[in-house]
Amino acid sequence: MRGHDHYARARTEALIHTLAIAAAVIAGALAFPLAARSSTSPVTVGAAAPDFTLKALDGRNLRLSEYRGDVVVLTFWASWCGACRPALEAANSFAAAQGKDGAVVLGVSLDGDAARARSVAESLALKYPTLVDARQAVGRLYDIDALPFTLVVDRDGIVRGEWSDGVAPQADLARTVAGVGQ
Amino acid sequence: MNRRYNAAARRRMIEWAGMLLVAGGVLCAGRAGAEDPAQETRAVDQDVQDLKKQLVDLNRDLFKLEEEILYPASTQVAVFLAVNTGTFFQLDSVTLKIDDKEVANYLYTEREAAALRRGGVQKLYLGNLKSGSHELVALFVGKGPHDVDYRRGATLTFEKTVGAKYVELRISDREASMQPEFVVRQWD
Repeated sequence: MRGHDHYARARTEALIHTLAIAAAVIAGALAFPLAARSSTSPVTVGAAAPDFTLKALDGRNLRLSEYRGDVVVLTFWASWCGACRPALEAANSFAAAQGKDGAVVLGVSLDGDAARARSVAESLALKYPTLVDARQAVGRLYDIDALPFTLVVDRDGIVRGEWSDGVAPQADLARTVAGVGQ
Repeated sequence: MNRRYNAAARRRMIEWAGMLLVAGGVLCAGRAGAEDPAQETRAVDQDVQDLKKQLVDLNRDLFKLEEEILYPASTQVAVFLAVNTGTFFQLDSVTLKIDDKEVANYLYTEREAAALRRGGVQKLYLGNLKSGSHELVALFVGKGPHDVDYRRGATLTFEKTVGAKYVELRISDREASMQPEFVVRQWD
């Protein structure tokens, strides 16, 4: 009888081990695409920032490549993203601090509805252009999987800094912009 | 013995003459370089320019090759956009559908619209289509007369044959009615 219990316990343990290994394999398989995507993301420091044209809230169509010659700070956000508001406020302060030859700040809202983006932009009194990526085409182009997402693009259109999933530290942002602005 | 001595002396003289020639050549070359650095710089500049030209030619050839491979003439369809004057219409965007499938959606910046008004022609779409009948629909969005929002569509049904097919979208001003005109036509 005791032998039978022992056998049953061993079988249960083997089953638990098998399930644990299977769970680890599934978790690995699920994690792999994320790792693969980040390694093949078109937006990495040192790579050219993919070009795009989007409509701004003021009705103008703005193209990133038309800012060649300027340092550009791009901030991707969405109205439903709570962590984006501090990032937008920080970008607003940063934009206000830029002089005539300073960096250009552009916000890109991934909201499907421009009215939501406008509401947030107005409530925060954003001083820089807000572009609306209603189809999320640019979001896909930049392979964005966490918001807010901030990029510094140099005068030649090359990505020189990126910060995702949080507010870009102002000191880091200022240092990067100053570094590429020379 | 004497002959052997003469041969050795001659060999030594030849060796010395050779050494002197080499040394002289090196000195002359050095002096020539030192005397005219501007000429040397010009030569390097010329080399760099030649290299750049070769690169541009190579890039153009590669581009043509890529286009020929990706869009062979037998299936190629290209759609161009041109604007005549554009007084009555400020272009904002063009959406292009072929056989009810959106193939291009282009937003024009102020600079691009200005370039088109100055006579620029844009290759809006380049793709492949099977031989046969196809329908192209272009939707133009912008500001019409008196800064009013303006949306107009233009349609063309065309026959894709063996050769490449070129389609032109043209926006022009109709002076009589003071309205913009949107024309889609195919080039033969």
